[in-house]
Amino acid sequence: MSRTITIEPVTRIEGHARITLQLGAEGELQDALFHLTQFRGFEKFCEGRPYREMPALTARTCGICPVSHILAANKACDHLLSVTIPPTAEKLRRIINLAQLTQSHALSFFHLSSPDLLLGWDADPATRNIFGVMRQYPELARDGIRLRQIGQTIIETLGGKKIHPTWVVPGGVSEALTQEKRTAMLKLLPEGLEIARRTYDFFKTLVPKFKDEASHFGTQDTLFLSLVTPEGNLEHYDGFLRLKDARGRIVEDRVPTWEYQRLVGEAVEDFSYMKFPYYKPMGYPKGVYRVGPLARLNNANACGTPYADVALAEFHMLQESGPIASSFHYHYARLVEIIYALEMMDRLLKDPDIMDQRVRARARSNRDEGIGVAEAPRGTLMHHYKIDDDGLITWVNLIIATGHNNLAMNAAIKQVAAAYVDANHLQEGMLNRVEAVIRCFDPCLSCASHAFGQMPMVIELQDAAGRVVDSLCRH
Amino acid sequence: MQPVDPGMTAKTLIIGYGSPIRGDDAIGPLAAEALMAAPLPREVSVIARHILTAELAAEIATAERVIFLDASVTGEPGEVRVQTLAPDASALSSMAHFLSPRELLAWCQALYGHQPAAWLVTATGQSFTYAHCRLSPLATAAMEVMLAEVQALIGRPAAGISSPASSRNGGW
Repeated sequence: MSRTITIEPVTRIEGHARITLQLGAEGELQDALFHLTQFRGFEKFCEGRPYREMPALTARTCGICPVSHILAANKACDHLLSVTIPPTAEKLRRIINLAQLTQSHALSFFHLSSPDLLLGWDADPATRNIFGVMRQYPELARDGIRLRQIGQTIIETLGGKKIHPTWVVPGGVSEALTQEKRTAMLKLLPEGLEIARRTYDFFKTLVPKFKDEASHFGTQDTLFLSLVTPEGNLEHYDGFLRLKDARGRIVEDRVPTWEYQRLVGEAVEDFSYMKFPYYKPMGYPKGVYRVGPLARLNNANACGTPYADVALAEFHMLQESGPIASSFHYHYARLVEIIYALEMMDRLLKDPDIMDQRVRARARSNRDEGIGVAEAPRGTLMHHYKIDDDGLITWVNLIIATGHNNLAMNAAIKQVAAAYVDANHLQEGMLNRVEAVIRCFDPCLSCASHAFGQMPMVIELQDAAGRVVDSLCRH
Repeated sequence: MQPVDPGMTAKTLIIGYGSPIRGDDAIGPLAAEALMAAPLPREVSVIARHILTAELAAEIATAERVIFLDASVTGEPGEVRVQTLAPDASALSSMAHFLSPRELLAWCQALYGHQPAAWLVTATGQSFTYAHCRLSPLATAAMEVMLAEVQALIGRPAAGISSPASSRNGGW
């Protein structure tokens, strides 16, 4: 007698999803599936548009990380123009990307995941939310707000007060930095760094409490994919693709981003609208890899900034050896990256060249295929366009950061469900852990239709005849 | 639009929000942009946003009163309403990055112990079509009414802001 448990919608994530747990006759877990339940079709409806519209169009893919799409799209356009953008433009683009990373990671840690981390997986769902955190940890909650504010202010200072800034353009950026803006941004960073370090120090004291979760939350042998600098260090804007295996061996290195298709294949399954990217040489579904903060830190030789490098060394001490395997430590990695982002923005803003007025290379399209890759907060974001002689888009491929993690997320919920779910007596805390492992990845599922929080959720345990044998309801 | 008398104004934050590519949903940010271009007392600041995000709580915490400008789907197209708003900590948003005004006020209250007087000024939209970047004629006309309502709220003396009971169309 097989049974199925459905968790729908998955809460405190970006997007609409469902989890089903399929149980065997003895209540044993047979399979766990993560379903993306909405279809959007961005790649198709971009066809026929002028390539210069792609940054604006694809930015609408996401209300959370539009800056990431704007950067990847403009990099693909740079490729179509066959230009190398001015060095100052590259630095300015890096700053806006790091500001985006800061505010996005802050949202994930402080507002989406902190209720579980601070109030407990088994706490009453009525109070296990951001208001519960505000009541018990008001200073931490204020810190989260302030970090988001700092990131958002820098984005607005550079890009204008828009959710979808148009300051980044093919060939560079549209406007050079002014001294006034530079000073204003520099003023924000020491406070941001102080908050980031304080939060990191606090979280370090919590980590030992989560030994069990760290052992079961997506602790799996996978590959790790990310950009790295030519020296193999942490990179979010450019550089080369690196792929490391679970033992820490570098499988692919110094791969130019326009060769991504040599590494990444894309499969589809009938239970989800999300693609299943995989490492091509290992085939599907064996070629599981993870992207995002965990992968970036696992792949990087160093961060290249003082405090982040100390934190990176401590990150590697979470495990005896090798790349950090547990997806639970995405949270830790996010905090390290916030520290890095704030330090690096400070460095870039103090760069003598940052005020250079030459910030845009101008050209017409000089090839018919362009690829742009950047690290979004959630992982490696790939934009690939083909255009005709009139510069109109004929084909688009987008591999969104969350998509790369699809296989790994499915494996992770299976592991957590096997460890925590007692099919004979469902408890909310069990299912919250299944959801929580997904939150570790901080997925941004539909990149626009976003759901989380106290949405109604009914979880039913049914027997093979469809009889409800147990249920949980969240209103 | 008549400028208000400067000098008597409480520190006021105006936040217009909505999607710029969903037809009349843009009325909030467009009204905010119109206010930015108008002469306003220096105590009044205006923000135009696509959505309401958590960090706005910190900005609200510095204001004595806050006025939200939004489009509405209820009522007759073109209808303008002014409602008072109270914080609501139970209004947990279903969107990770999109809070409701009352939830945002609750964040402000919980985090900063501050509860500004708050209003929501809405105009009922006629069309919310995707990829539509113009207001309908009814919404365009309603925006003028919205702006007049905002000016009236701004013009209230600072001493009167703690009891906004005279707002039309009730409150939440």
